[in-house]
Amino acid sequence: MRALPELFDLRVKARSLAYLFTAGAGLGLVTLAFPHDPEVMELELIVLAAIAVAIAGVVYVEADRIRPWHLHVALGLGTLILTFANYYVGVNSLYPLLYTWTALYAFYFFPLGVSLAHVAFIALCYAVLLVIQDPSSPIVRWLLAVGTPVVAGLLISRLLERMGVEVNTGEQRERALRQSEARTRLVLDSAPDAFVTLDRDGIITTWNVAAEKMFGWSAVEAIGKPLRSIIIPPEHRERHDKRRRELIEHEGAVATQVYDVVLQRRDGSRFDGEATVSRVVIGDDVILAGFLRDMTERQRREEERDELMRAQAARAEAERVAEMMSGMGALVDAALARRRLDEVLADLVAGVQKVLGADAAAIFLADDEQESLHLAATSSGIEPASVEPIPFGDGFPGRVARSREPLFARHPDQADLRDPGLRDMEIDSLLAVPLLARGAVTGVLRVCASPPRRFTADDLGMLRLAADRVALAVSHARIHEREHQIAETLQRSLLPERLPDLPGLKVAASYRPAAAEAEVGGDWYDVIPIPGGGAGLVMGDVAGKGLAAASMVGRLRSALRAYALEGHDPAMVVQQLNRLVWTEAAESQMVTLLYVVVDPTEGLARWVNAGHPPPVLVGGNGRPQFLEGGTSVPLGVQPFPSYEEMSAAMAPGSTLVLYTDGLVEVPGAHIDEGMSRLMEQLPGAPEEPKALCDYLLGRLVPPRGAPDDVALLTLRNVPLSDRLRFEVPSEPEALASMRALLRRWLRYGGGGEQEVADITTACGEAATNAIEHAGLSGGKPFEVTGLLKGREVEISVRDFGAWRTPREGDQGRGLSLMRALMDTVHVSPTPEGTTVRLRRTLREAGGNGGPK
Amino acid sequence: MKEGLVGLEIEERGDVVVARLTGELDIAGAARTGERIAEAVPTSALGLVVDLMELEFIDSSGIAMLFALARRLGSQRQELSVAAPPGGPVARVLEIVEFDRAAPVHAEVDTAVADLQG
Repeated sequence: MRALPELFDLRVKARSLAYLFTAGAGLGLVTLAFPHDPEVMELELIVLAAIAVAIAGVVYVEADRIRPWHLHVALGLGTLILTFANYYVGVNSLYPLLYTWTALYAFYFFPLGVSLAHVAFIALCYAVLLVIQDPSSPIVRWLLAVGTPVVAGLLISRLLERMGVEVNTGEQRERALRQSEARTRLVLDSAPDAFVTLDRDGIITTWNVAAEKMFGWSAVEAIGKPLRSIIIPPEHRERHDKRRRELIEHEGAVATQVYDVVLQRRDGSRFDGEATVSRVVIGDDVILAGFLRDMTERQRREEERDELMRAQAARAEAERVAEMMSGMGALVDAALARRRLDEVLADLVAGVQKVLGADAAAIFLADDEQESLHLAATSSGIEPASVEPIPFGDGFPGRVARSREPLFARHPDQADLRDPGLRDMEIDSLLAVPLLARGAVTGVLRVCASPPRRFTADDLGMLRLAADRVALAVSHARIHEREHQIAETLQRSLLPERLPDLPGLKVAASYRPAAAEAEVGGDWYDVIPIPGGGAGLVMGDVAGKGLAAASMVGRLRSALRAYALEGHDPAMVVQQLNRLVWTEAAESQMVTLLYVVVDPTEGLARWVNAGHPPPVLVGGNGRPQFLEGGTSVPLGVQPFPSYEEMSAAMAPGSTLVLYTDGLVEVPGAHIDEGMSRLMEQLPGAPEEPKALCDYLLGRLVPPRGAPDDVALLTLRNVPLSDRLRFEVPSEPEALASMRALLRRWLRYGGGGEQEVADITTACGEAATNAIEHAGLSGGKPFEVTGLLKGREVEISVRDFGAWRTPREGDQGRGLSLMRALMDTVHVSPTPEGTTVRLRRTLREAGGNGGPK
Repeated sequence: MKEGLVGLEIEERGDVVVARLTGELDIAGAARTGERIAEAVPTSALGLVVDLMELEFIDSSGIAMLFALARRLGSQRQELSVAAPPGGPVARVLEIVEFDRAAPVHAEVDTAVADLQG
């Protein structure tokens, strides 16, 4: 609390001083009018009063410009004037009392220190006065003189300080109160609810702006009217009166009631409202203050808000469900995808994590023996293979696998988790459920939650749903994987392990499976030795993948071999294959096939193309060309398509390239582009078929594998020279090809028809012996070398079997034939094998007129 | 029918069975072809003519087959006759192995048939 004197401004202090002096002077003059001591000097007193009034006048007039020290001086002068007055009148008069006035003034308006100084001055003046006027008892008078003003001044100042603020700040309080009322009114006027006060008779005394708006009555109109007559519908007025009376008569300081009411606007329309009415006691009076609220508006807003909240909740729920369903959907997709297990697992872990909002998820898979689990996939990013297998019954996963029951754990022990990927994770709760398929535990699905996430019973239900799908996905993927392995094995078994030795021809093939994730495709190739020295080249592609495609390849391969060996024309072979595919293959099975028969004797390639990319023929001059034409529909599309045989010259030194579309498929580009790329690679490519295959694959197939399988088959019609060297399988069926090549070579060497026949027959006999030496069931191939030296022909047949002495009769006849047909026959049997050397000088004028 | 590279057609001309061979007759098809020809000759038949007119090649296995047929027919008191174009590779081989000591070699099928019926 501030000191009292500071509450007043200088002007107030100055005016008070002026009043004090004027009053003092007036009192002095009044005493002169009553009977008094004749010795009193009237003139002096009148002069003193005049001085006091003069000072008062100056102070009053100059009140606005006065300084604090002016007041001290003025009060000091007042004390002196009073002392002189006492001197003239005598200490026994009323005048000493006036010292109290000046002391009071000092205490009231000046700080304590200054006022004490004034009191001290007053005491000094009074003491001097007493000493002069009554020297008889100086000590008593001193005490009186000093004590009276000091004690009185202190007491009064303390008293005033305590109550002064309340009394003297009344003006400010009034102002504050008015401001407060204005604020209250403002608040009430801006309140959304109508605020009304009624006196005890129900007459409106307050009517705020909201009330004006709500009811259509202005404050001026409403105030002074009974509430019941303007906003209470007639039928409710009685109830209103009753409630009002009850409230008014209610004992106690404040009573508040809330009523649901029906209110009426000025236009007569009605609405539901809520009235909050308080009984307010002000002094002796009792009034009612009430807030009236339009509930229709509020109901509408509440309904809107409820609706909004419902919509938000519904959206949140929908989003949650959608999220979950998409997670579940991903699980189902993974379950249905025909993909490799490890890829499926990665998707499943991600899906489960999403569905449960888990912070970590892992799948453990059981081994076939149902003895241990291994970590198969985890969201933690560690390499699952780095984790040791977990025996059933060990740790959380092992326990779940053994019990086949879900497991829930709070703050699980790290050692029990068996997943080093969780080492640095704070785990609030863990859920693990078994994966079951056909009664066997195939694995365990485990999820972990980090704070603030915590699993609940709902999560367990969800995890079980997820586990069903994961189990399905795992078993599908396993079946698929097994199928893939079988198909792969089957397909490998269907591709020739080694290509046949074809006299005069060189073949090579390559098979490049598609990039890792793809399935075993239906590409296949085959090389079939055609009796008589030709070669049947097969390049096919069964649409579809996997086991079904692989088994189709198997059937086609066998059938084609059979038809080809029966000596059917290419067109007939393909037609028969079409019948097979059409009648027996699964619906919409489609096979493209290229079948080329190369006849080196004729120097001719004959082909039939059933919807396959055309082969490329690289001529002896190195120029490549597509063997277009003859292309018909793939196998299995029509019951009786016409397959037409086409042919092209295939001179010695030329090469044939067969391939499947995988070689020429460029992702995102038309197949023509891939075919152009193939054509660009061929000029300058190696001639040797094996090298050619490697060359083309290296340039056309990405190192990581093409999107599709690639099969490539190349065949070269080896050009003839004076030196001939080839291997022949130790099979009776291979002899015809050998003879065909020999005839070609002998004609090339200038042999006449008789000579060609003789030498070929002799070589055939030597070859027959070689086959017998190797054992008729076949063994190591034998080797035929030929050399032309001018007109001299030398042919050696060298086998690696055991020599048999020719018996008289059939076998002996072979040797005698050789001797009869050739100039010289030399047989040199060794433990490692036998070499038969045949020589003959050409004498006829052959078709080619001698070696070129 | 074909066995390897050799084709075989059987025809009966009265009491005589004619077996026509085409293609190349070597160790791959000789034994099987010989059996099939032998099976085609009923015991009631007078004899067998092996028509080699269109055979392109014969080796010692084929010759052995012919000798075996000759022996077999002989044991059944049936006769074998062979027809091959003179000067051709087949006739040349037959000549070298002196097949005519086992059965007559004719230049034409008709004369071979007539020889048997004769």
